[in-house]
Amino acid sequence: MSEIDPKNAAMSPEEQKAYQAKQKQRAAIMAGLLFFLVVLFYLITFVKINSSIS
Amino acid sequence: MTIASTSPHKLASARDLFALTKPRVMSLVIFTAICGLLAAPGSIHPVIGFTAILAISLGAGASAALNQWYEYDIDAVMKRTANRPLPAGRMDRETALHFGIGLSVFSVLLMGVAVNWLSAAILAFSIFFYAVIYTIWLKRSTPQNIVIGGAAGAFPPVIGWAAVTGDITLMPILLFAIIFFWTPPHFWALALFVNSDYSKAGVPMMPVVAGRQSTRKQVAGYSLVLAACAIAPFAIGATGAVYGATAIALSVAFTFLSFRVGVSKTENPSAMKAEKDLFKFSIFYLFALFGALVADRMIFT
Repeated sequence: MSEIDPKNAAMSPEEQKAYQAKQKQRAAIMAGLLFFLVVLFYLITFVKINSSIS
Repeated sequence: MTIASTSPHKLASARDLFALTKPRVMSLVIFTAICGLLAAPGSIHPVIGFTAILAISLGAGASAALNQWYEYDIDAVMKRTANRPLPAGRMDRETALHFGIGLSVFSVLLMGVAVNWLSAAILAFSIFFYAVIYTIWLKRSTPQNIVIGGAAGAFPPVIGWAAVTGDITLMPILLFAIIFFWTPPHFWALALFVNSDYSKAGVPMMPVVAGRQSTRKQVAGYSLVLAACAIAPFAIGATGAVYGATAIALSVAFTFLSFRVGVSKTENPSAMKAEKDLFKFSIFYLFALFGALVADRMIFT
């Protein structure tokens, strides 16, 4: 089972701020990537259905 | 298990995850894959073509991430690689491994579902080849590591070709051979003047193990095989005069520069002009040759 490393468990306010900023940045990029994939898979489906009809 | 990643210093930033994919190397992969795709007979829908290139790029990025996961110790010793996310301590190894495996699986599935399963199978094999056969098995055990590693870099145009045609013929095999035989002169030229870095890391690069003179002779030898492979598509009538003329001109120049390296006796890396010239020209050579292949196809079809 996972456990928190006691050496890293307590973060100073600055470290916490940096940690949250990194998390926020990663979450924003992940949201963008997911949106891109939704659009891509929509287009792929569209092309595949079209080519199987024709 | 301990979660070291709870430390703010170990939570990888998006920039470091991107750096893990070796974007500069990826540009060559993308370029050769696009060329393979555009040079193949037949047509592919732009959306599917884009997806194929995306999957190849993600596969290349995954291989690079797995390579850096395994080679963090070597990277830490070499000046050129010491600032990568793992040796610099900005990311833990577990993150790199998970990222590499996740990206590998996603890229192969994307290729299989959206394009075709032959391309997906070749992509999966190329990732396995680079990460396991080259990085884990052979890089540290044989001075022929670069020759073997060259095969991994030679897959993208074959995958691009297979994405369009759904099969493998002689032409994509020749494209594979061109990159395969281009790799040793390209990397050994570099290794000749950054020799000290590789020896420090204990990587059995050819100049370290066999010596500079033997490496120089091999560079010249490989350039002849490369010239034969580069001209072959024209010789067998698979391409037109645009590619043929370009391939002959580029191969003559490449062979000349390689033989200049072959007869060089310099031991001082800063005075290795012939090696530096060959290294720079080798990059131009590959871009120009594949560019000519696409231009030829556009003109003659």
